[in-house]
Amino acid sequence: MMLENNELLKIEALSIQFGGLKAVDQLSFTIHEKEIFGLIGPNGAGKTTVFNCITQFYKPNHGNIYFRNIKDEVINLVDLKVHQVIRQGVVRTFQNVELIRELSILDNVLIGAHIDYKTGVISQALRLPKAVKEEAIYKAKAEEILKKLGIYERKDMLVFGQPYGILKKVELARTFMSDPKLVILDEPAAGLNDVETLQLAKTIRQIRDDFNCSVLLVEHDMRLVMDVCDTICAINFGKFLAQGTAKDIQKNPLVQEAYLGKEEHDE
Amino acid sequence: MKKIKIAFKPWMGFVLFGIALALIPLLAEYTTFVKSSTIITIGGTVIFAIAALGLNILLGYSGLISLGTAGFMGLAAYLSAYMTVDLGLPFEVSLIVAVLVPTLIGVLVGLISLKIEGMYLAIATLAVSEILRKTFEEFEFITNGFSGKSARFPQLLGFIQLDRASTYYLIVVVLVIAMLLTYNMMNGQVGRAFNAMRGSESAASAMGVYSLKYRLIAFALATILASLAGVMYVHFIRFAYPSTWNLKLSLDFLAMIVIGGLRSIYGTVLGAFIVFAIPDLFLKQIPFFNQLSYVLNGVLIIEVIMFYPSGLINIGFDIKRLWLKLRKGIHDAGK
Repeated sequence: MMLENNELLKIEALSIQFGGLKAVDQLSFTIHEKEIFGLIGPNGAGKTTVFNCITQFYKPNHGNIYFRNIKDEVINLVDLKVHQVIRQGVVRTFQNVELIRELSILDNVLIGAHIDYKTGVISQALRLPKAVKEEAIYKAKAEEILKKLGIYERKDMLVFGQPYGILKKVELARTFMSDPKLVILDEPAAGLNDVETLQLAKTIRQIRDDFNCSVLLVEHDMRLVMDVCDTICAINFGKFLAQGTAKDIQKNPLVQEAYLGKEEHDE
Repeated sequence: MKKIKIAFKPWMGFVLFGIALALIPLLAEYTTFVKSSTIITIGGTVIFAIAALGLNILLGYSGLISLGTAGFMGLAAYLSAYMTVDLGLPFEVSLIVAVLVPTLIGVLVGLISLKIEGMYLAIATLAVSEILRKTFEEFEFITNGFSGKSARFPQLLGFIQLDRASTYYLIVVVLVIAMLLTYNMMNGQVGRAFNAMRGSESAASAMGVYSLKYRLIAFALATILASLAGVMYVHFIRFAYPSTWNLKLSLDFLAMIVIGGLRSIYGTVLGAFIVFAIPDLFLKQIPFFNQLSYVLNGVLIIEVIMFYPSGLINIGFDIKRLWLKLRKGIHDAGK
């Protein structure tokens, strides 16, 4: 068994190299069930690269990513293709919201249920009873999620022209359609104002409880990270710096150095 | 008295639309207003609308471009003509084979589309279409080369011989079914997957949409519709020349969906009427304008892209909005 009882995701000696640049170097950390885990680091530290390795957008050169999937089996995500990752219970959002502008909010959320559909093209084209029933089930589920996130009234509006805060919520709603065990948020507070950021912190905690999942987030907004995360891992130049609670991280000299630079001593 | 309220379902709209189209030949018979040659033009337009619907699935919904529609349509036309006339096979059998063969080639092109995008995909599909067209010229034992291949009106189930008017009805039925099935697919899981793929490939795969599978489905659907149109064409016009299936026809399909409306099913048919029927029915009557239909299409595409990026089908909504505004204005002035 690669994972202890309450461990959900274990990254082991992860390395990826772009040309001569080691973007992630021998990085290891573990996320537990129902934990809100923050990954921080200065610009270019390799946070998003770690994300892309977990979701298989990049194939790491070395290392393993063990995950306890929906069926409670432990698998190595590295063996999968990008589109298979969501089936295991790992789903992500994007730094620059990736929604379909020409579709309604409800339709955008329904894309999150894509893998759950059992009926094929032909039964959908003919609107066979089972296809109609299936569509109704997921529509109801999507509406339920939109209600929880407080944007139900907008469900039939087009995504095009919606404020940024709403778009972020739509993307979040989309991730929950697949009943994930791990939700990966790529800079959820980017582009939000102070009020929206405060709201987001609340939302993140609420979704952890409502949907019973773990959250991994990369974020630049330190207030949000310190406020919401149970455990924080700091990295720099792709290497592990420190891990601990918000207080531990704030006090850690290595982290302070990475963010603020080394103190110059006059000789 | 109890009021019976029937919920208006999308399929009723398609059926009503089909009935309206089907009435045109009747009008031709009983009035002098519509000439009988008009049926050929309108029937041709309906056939082209079927193929354009396929291109709309490909380009409008999935964001994959193809300039090969004409080639696939031609291949299906020749195959069906050869099988019914030379081999004496029943119409139904040749229909199935004439749709299957181009669809297999279309799926192969779908495989290529995984490696090349945008402009290069357009060039590759154009190349496939040109190869097909050259083949039509050279394989004389099937296509009869430059002299053209003739075919007959379809004979259904081996004993129902259709004439021009009833073939026209058959074409309208095929269009209505194609519109209905396309509507159902594009408003369900498959359509959303196509949209997701067009919007962002990475977001789509993060949501579990397997690009290879959906690209193949998109190309298969587009080729099935193009081939169906090809079969209908050869049995309605009863003649096929290699020069019909050239780049201009593929570009006309592109013009139809851009002018009518990308991702709009009625828009596709409207586009087909604007690109094919209007120049044929009206412009040809005016001496100076009869060679200007190319120019008209070009101007229309530019106008539509600039002022109506979502297609002329949306002009209705805008007129309605303007009308409501006007009425409100009159109402307010009356106070």
